[in-house]
Amino acid sequence: MIEAKNTGQRRRLLRPARRQRRGRMYFESRVLPWLLLLPALVVIFGLILYPVVRTLWLSFTDAGLASLVSGQMDFVGLRNYADIFSDPELRMTFVRTALFGFACVAGTMALGLSAALLLNQKFRGRVVLGVLVLLPWAVPAVAASIVWKWMFDDQYGIINWALSSVGLSMFKGFPWFNDWLPAFVAVGIVVVWQSFPFVALMLLAGFQAIPQEVLEAAKSDGAGAFQRLRHVTLPMLKPLVLVLIVISTIWDFKIFDQIYVMTGGGPAHSTEVISVATWREAFTQLDFGMGSALAILLFVVLALVTIIYIRLIREEELG
Amino acid sequence: MRRSFAASLGLYAGAVALGAFSVFPFLWMVITSVKGSQEIFTRTPVFVPHSPTLGRYAQVLGGEFARALLNSVIVATGTTVLGVSVAVLAGYSLARFRLPLRRYLLMLILSTQMFPLVALIIPLFIVMRTLGLLNTYPGLILAYLSFTVPLAAWMMRGFFQSIPPELEDAAMVDGATRMGAFLRVVLPVAGPGVAATSIYAFIVAWNEFLIALTFISDEQMRTLPVALQSFIGRESTDWGAIMAASVIFTLPVIAFFLLVHKRLTRGMAAGALKG
Repeated sequence: MIEAKNTGQRRRLLRPARRQRRGRMYFESRVLPWLLLLPALVVIFGLILYPVVRTLWLSFTDAGLASLVSGQMDFVGLRNYADIFSDPELRMTFVRTALFGFACVAGTMALGLSAALLLNQKFRGRVVLGVLVLLPWAVPAVAASIVWKWMFDDQYGIINWALSSVGLSMFKGFPWFNDWLPAFVAVGIVVVWQSFPFVALMLLAGFQAIPQEVLEAAKSDGAGAFQRLRHVTLPMLKPLVLVLIVISTIWDFKIFDQIYVMTGGGPAHSTEVISVATWREAFTQLDFGMGSALAILLFVVLALVTIIYIRLIREEELG
Repeated sequence: MRRSFAASLGLYAGAVALGAFSVFPFLWMVITSVKGSQEIFTRTPVFVPHSPTLGRYAQVLGGEFARALLNSVIVATGTTVLGVSVAVLAGYSLARFRLPLRRYLLMLILSTQMFPLVALIIPLFIVMRTLGLLNTYPGLILAYLSFTVPLAAWMMRGFFQSIPPELEDAAMVDGATRMGAFLRVVLPVAGPGVAATSIYAFIVAWNEFLIALTFISDEQMRTLPVALQSFIGRESTDWGAIMAASVIFTLPVIAFFLLVHKRLTRGMAAGALKG
């Protein structure tokens, strides 16, 4: 009797508490997640998606200096895009970006793979080398560009000195930045120098994840070191290698700092890739419309690469 | 299995070459910065300075460069505090709740990493100009959130996922609210992850060049990379001073980087490979 009364009382006492708890549960499962996410969504929509859409819109206008002052700009349809494709100079920018980008990716992958293979061996000093190799990754792009530009100096640069003292006398006083090809080689070396550590580190982690038995089995079947790499290791790491190639492609297609600091796009725009051309059109020529059109084209190229990237991740997730 | 002598030789030669290639440019930066002026412009490079001097560091830190250093510290710190706060909350939400559209949100966050900054910078410039935020710290910090928040949120999500949910379940059974459990139980455990993410955010903000170059025209407001870049354009380039400035610019990054690179690469690898 007393018990029953107690239970009834407790139930009556509990009801508001339970309702309150239900309210809290609703808040915690439905409202709180979005509340926590809200600031990040504001950043993503306000500082990334809005600007991209706005850039797209600007690319159909003739926005320029006047538009900054008065907001005055006219819709010009696809004229900026037509101008880009009819201008041989700007058309070349795309070819250049692709060639330079892919050359950097090839260099990065080759050096990254070599470094990973080396670090996968057992030898004294391996741990030290593993740390040293990370260094280029940690050097800021602008600082790296500056020190390499000094090393590539025609008169006092250490690279010309080294090359000419091993007998390549053509490099005595060789001006690296007077022509597009040597200039691109110099910039490309800096880009590869900065990006191979990441690739090496990821590949090394991949190597170490391969079960030792598989390699042993291949060895007992008579496969040499190179054959094991070619027919066992690399095929097993194919998804990782693909992802690394795509990430590197994205990085190297939007390179700006190294080119801007080392060549400024010169001589005579001959090392200007899309990102540098975009910046020049927008902020030196103050042609925001044209700059936006170039930016959108770069964006489309990278979006295609990104779609491939996400596909690859999904495949890996499923596979 | 023993390696042949030739194989060992090849291995060590490769190791030495790789090590030298990786380290030499930074070493050369340091060596050049402590040389006397007459040892910098020589046909045959001087590898060991005859009388090393730290004078250039004093010169650089006493001059206009000091201001750039201060600007960089303020902007990078501001970006880190604001960006990581936003990213911690978002990362927790993404790690623990079954949100509708979560897949698409995650994909969106991941793909923003691929966006070229030049595709954002024109409208950002126009907006900042309208708001009068060009040549200001808040202008740069706001713009820097665009590339720090997504990856930082992604990394924090990974760190939170590695913490068992039973931890906050237990705290909530004991009467804590979700937020209370998050702040008092989960966050302290995620401390190392927060530290790694903060260092990541600091480094990318510290290194950023394109936006700073565009938004800052006032010499007093320049950050380090922009100040450095403006030095090499001058008539007679003072390479010794530039190298000293570059060392000051680079050292904190290297120190931070070596501190957290393991956690960082693990976080990024998880982000890159396990969508």
